[in-house]
Amino acid sequence: MPDFDLATLLVLVPALPLAGAILTVLLGRVLGSRAHWPAVLSIAAGAVAAVTLLVGLGRETGIGTGHADGHAKPVEMVTTLWQWANIPDAYVPAAGSSLDVGDDLAARSAGFPQALPFSIGIDLRLDPLTAVMLAVITCVGLLVAIYSIGYMHDDPGYPRFFALVAAFVFSMSMLVAASNFLLVYVFWEAVGACSYLLIGFWFHKPSAAAAAKKAFLVNRVGDFGLAVAVFLLWMTYGTLNFHDTLLADGSPLPGILGQARLGDAAGYVGGAVGTAICLLLLLAACGKSAQLPLHVWLPDAMEGPTPASALIHAATMVTAGVYLIARCAPLYMACPTALTIVSIVGATTALVAALIGTVQNDLKRVLAYSTISQLGFMFASLGTGTLLGFTAAIFHLVTHAFFKALLFLGAGSVMHAMGGVIDMRRFGGLRRVMPITAATFLVGSLALAGVAPFAGFFSKDEVLAALHGRGWPDAHAEHQDAAPHETHAHRPLPREAAGSPAFRPVSFREPVAGAEADAIAAPTFRVLYWMSLVTAALTAFYTFRAVFMTFTGPTRVPDEAGHHAHESPPVMTWPLVILAVPAAVSGWWLFSTHALADFLAATPSLAAPAVAATAVPHVFHWDLALQGTLAAAIGIVVAAIGYLGRRSDGPQLERFLGPIRPILANRFFCDEIYTALVVRPLEFVAMLAALFDRHVIDGLVGFVAGVPLAAGAVIRRLQSGLLQRYAVASAIGTLVVVLALAWRLRP
Amino acid sequence: MTPSALVLNGLVVGGMLFAIGLVGILARRNLIVMFLSAELMLQGVSVSLVSWSRHHGDWGGHVLVIFVLTVAACEAAVALVFVLQAFARTGRLDAAAWQSLRESNLPRSIDRELPASDAEALTFPHLTPAGIEPEADEDALLEREHV
Repeated sequence: MPDFDLATLLVLVPALPLAGAILTVLLGRVLGSRAHWPAVLSIAAGAVAAVTLLVGLGRETGIGTGHADGHAKPVEMVTTLWQWANIPDAYVPAAGSSLDVGDDLAARSAGFPQALPFSIGIDLRLDPLTAVMLAVITCVGLLVAIYSIGYMHDDPGYPRFFALVAAFVFSMSMLVAASNFLLVYVFWEAVGACSYLLIGFWFHKPSAAAAAKKAFLVNRVGDFGLAVAVFLLWMTYGTLNFHDTLLADGSPLPGILGQARLGDAAGYVGGAVGTAICLLLLLAACGKSAQLPLHVWLPDAMEGPTPASALIHAATMVTAGVYLIARCAPLYMACPTALTIVSIVGATTALVAALIGTVQNDLKRVLAYSTISQLGFMFASLGTGTLLGFTAAIFHLVTHAFFKALLFLGAGSVMHAMGGVIDMRRFGGLRRVMPITAATFLVGSLALAGVAPFAGFFSKDEVLAALHGRGWPDAHAEHQDAAPHETHAHRPLPREAAGSPAFRPVSFREPVAGAEADAIAAPTFRVLYWMSLVTAALTAFYTFRAVFMTFTGPTRVPDEAGHHAHESPPVMTWPLVILAVPAAVSGWWLFSTHALADFLAATPSLAAPAVAATAVPHVFHWDLALQGTLAAAIGIVVAAIGYLGRRSDGPQLERFLGPIRPILANRFFCDEIYTALVVRPLEFVAMLAALFDRHVIDGLVGFVAGVPLAAGAVIRRLQSGLLQRYAVASAIGTLVVVLALAWRLRP
Repeated sequence: MTPSALVLNGLVVGGMLFAIGLVGILARRNLIVMFLSAELMLQGVSVSLVSWSRHHGDWGGHVLVIFVLTVAACEAAVALVFVLQAFARTGRLDAAAWQSLRESNLPRSIDRELPASDAEALTFPHLTPAGIEPEADEDALLEREHV
């Protein structure tokens, strides 16, 4: 397939939703209740383009053609739309600068003896990771947009909603397709802005406005980390591009994630600088993906319309952090400490969020904590620093996008029928009222809980396998012995195609995650593994608690629903049904064919020697699957004992929690702690500043204004309104002039 | 009469006219009287101009005076319109009636000592008062009407 086609499609994926957003903005008032058409059609076209890209790239990498060894050759394609900035000689090598950065950094960046240009283009890249993300974003986006036609009808902000959704799909597509860190930063902010606008969609509701503000401010902390990380990357690598570029004199400049550097054993800076970059990127990811300690915004973000929650705060935007870390995998591989921290943050977040989720009574908040928890799973998986870990994280990202979007849309359907009530204690037994919603919600819940044939089971199993592999490296070594032909650590990257962009022949350095490092990190990962297993049980518990409270027991409907509590219209149930299909089977399909993992392994970042060397054979871990299933079963059984068939407003299992309950119910007091530690001191400083402004600054301004006033007050007294006084003044003035003249002209 | 004596006489007359006009303007508050005084000052200047012109045998001064007279006629018409309008506004010819145009926070100028009036010396026919005596405007009483 010629590159031109793929390049055009790649541009179309973000461009079409952008056009849809602009059209909706321009024609929104004219279209009125038909304002969804531009957004839905453009996102649909974008989805077609993205799926075509996925298929085309799959064919390119040989996944679809039954490529036997399962190791696709790394592919990337970069399209530069136009040059954004080009400042010659912007990067001065550290050795020549007077900055005392330390010889360490200077030596590492001394690969460039000459000054480098700051050259940033609107670069879109296509590689397996991007293609997968694009397909997920546009497909889920399309279903959510269709669903919103029903959910948002009669809302006064109807056109605004669709414009924002289309703008979000555009921003998110650009974020995952961008091929330099500056563009990533730009669209990182853009998705944040869309998120802010959608959370605060009903801005006259004070809680929604406050939630939007909170999400924006908490995200700023993470964005700050990303900004500093980008600065550091520039200082360290002399470029911000992912791909290799050519300098003005034609010599190559290795990009940060370019093929030249990926193949270079010493291509990535470790030590303090590298760890700092990785931790700052992690901070950014924590902000966007709602990980501890920046997770507080996501539960509040449920104030937004439910379709927006499904699209942005469950399926796509919050996974941007996972994408970023997966994309920067080679950077992390040089810093094992940072990787371990990623895992620790992820597993801790997963556990904490799952604990909080068990006592929430708001259906959407249960799902929000579940999202945080599942994202924690992905981070834990990323932090293992193995190829399995990275692909498992993306695998879980994909399945999670489907089943969590399904669950959110189901919750929205419930909320729609219940007249806006989302407190699970106020309704129950809804399976008789809305059978389609109940059935699809059950499918999503089974997937989330990780019950055997459903999607979540397989992706969670992969995650657990990745953690297990780091916790018990010996056990996995046995697995590897079983398939020795695939596991030698120095497997060279396939370079079979002559014309393909091949890696430089290099001598790989020892992978960081070697046996020695594993021995040190193993106890940590064992703890993380057990934490994840507990989390899996808790996940199953709170998911089915929600299912049982909402859909079983005596049928009760709140007063707000009126007498017409009914199943949602087809335009809302069809997306549910469609989403239920991948939520049910995508895990089994992607796992059994191993298509996704092989495909992702062809991403340049994940095909880097350091990552690729950690590849393990693709096996189904019966022991881990058993443990995971057992955990899920325990959770479901406990939930069934406590909630199945009971009135949801009756006494709950929480009464057995004793002193832990207030801690969980208050979400570990995170908001209170932040209020005391951050908000109050800031308000105090703000108060001081306000006082200073009001009295000192305003006082100075007032003084300056007072001087002419006071001077004027003196002269103003002369305007008496008495004609005779003016005449006297005039006469005296004339006299003075005459006398002065006479004096001058005296003989 | 020597030519210098002639010019001197003219200047004296002109100076007197000017001085009388100046005093009139400064001392009187009746708008028409003030206007007349201003005209007097103008004519004083004109007289001195004519004197100098004659002294130097230069017709320029004469021409200028004719010109001044013309302009003064027009100016008189305009000024009288102003005076009339001022009268229509306040009902009085007193220049002090316009002192409300002063700066807002300044005190009002008040004639505290009225000059002795010889009104009682005049004899007016006694008429039987009829109706209710209208309420007197304090401000208006303080500003003399017949200045």
